[in-house]
Amino acid sequence: MTEDRQFVSRALKGDRKAFEMIVRKYEQPLTSYLGRVTGEREAALDFAQEIFVKAYCSLASFRPEFKFSTWLFKIASNHLIDHWRKKKLATVSLDQPIDNEDGEVLPQVADPGPSVVRKFELAEIRQKIERALSSVPAGLRELFVLRHVNEFSYEEIADLKGLPVGTVKNRVFQAKELLRKRMEES
Amino acid sequence: MTIVTPCPRPEDLYFYLEGELGPYDAAKLEEHIEGCDACREALAERRRLHEAFVSLPPFEVPEGFARSVMESLPEPEKRPLAWLAPLVTAAAALGVGLIGFNLFTGLSVFDILVALNGFFGQAVAQVTPAAVKAIKVAGIVLKVAGDILVAALSGLTTVIRLLGPQGALAIGLLVLLVTLAVIGARRFLNQGEQS
Repeated sequence: MTEDRQFVSRALKGDRKAFEMIVRKYEQPLTSYLGRVTGEREAALDFAQEIFVKAYCSLASFRPEFKFSTWLFKIASNHLIDHWRKKKLATVSLDQPIDNEDGEVLPQVADPGPSVVRKFELAEIRQKIERALSSVPAGLRELFVLRHVNEFSYEEIADLKGLPVGTVKNRVFQAKELLRKRMEES
Repeated sequence: MTIVTPCPRPEDLYFYLEGELGPYDAAKLEEHIEGCDACREALAERRRLHEAFVSLPPFEVPEGFARSVMESLPEPEKRPLAWLAPLVTAAAALGVGLIGFNLFTGLSVFDILVALNGFFGQAVAQVTPAAVKAIKVAGIVLKVAGDILVAALSGLTTVIRLLGPQGALAIGLLVLLVTLAVIGARRFLNQGEQS
């Protein structure tokens, strides 16, 4: 974290090499986040580039008392929201229950049921998750990715998204249960 | 084995796997799992899912991505030379002044420059010794004031060390009271003189 602050401080003084260090440090986690949320590798790379440029231009507004990664991912999250707005992509309200295709509210309590996961090895499960991830509403998918791909804490995600911690926990849980359900169906 | 506690909520199974459940709730869940086959199976299933969630492969970033980002960054704004503006203004003002003077007096620019040189030379000759004296006096005054301040501070520190914080506070209050009393007395005497 201190390292990030030093890079930012040097970049603000015009040291472009310092900003390049930031890019090298965050290019992979940022692209993973964008790629997993959008499901498109090329779009993820384009977005990552645009987000780094945005971050560079607004570097002076970064407050050192906060984590740089949270600040950068907040820019990324807002960038995605803008993108979805432009595409008029159906996103999910974070205050409403999630409905499935039939308009029924998905059960919050999952029945243990027959285990399908046991049939697959870890690699196969991952492949299935990747395929199923695209069917999870974007709002839930983003929170799931921040938690399990980027390994942010629930508190950090709450701060990043401006949501209560309880809501974030509930939404990540819903994303996971949705994934489990989709995998059962496939 | 008999089930002694109610089945945990599905979200608690995930929170348990993530280490987000408190120690008391985690112990309760573990105790329950021992006696509930359905929950044990549900936990095992979610454990496998959780392991897959946290080990999803990262997206590959092409070689040279950072370089292309750096090339797309805007160039830092070239800040104009801030010191140049007043210098140019002063030179322009001098030029205008010289031309105006030339027009009004009929003196050539060379004559004006000679006159200006003489004027500034005289001024410098008169002002310099006085300025040197003033600087010397200011230095002495500052040194004396500094010594007094250092002595006062060291005295105050010694008093505080000897008396402790309460003593220092008591002295402070006493000084305040004396000051107020002096001010009050002066105002009283002034009123007496006016009447």
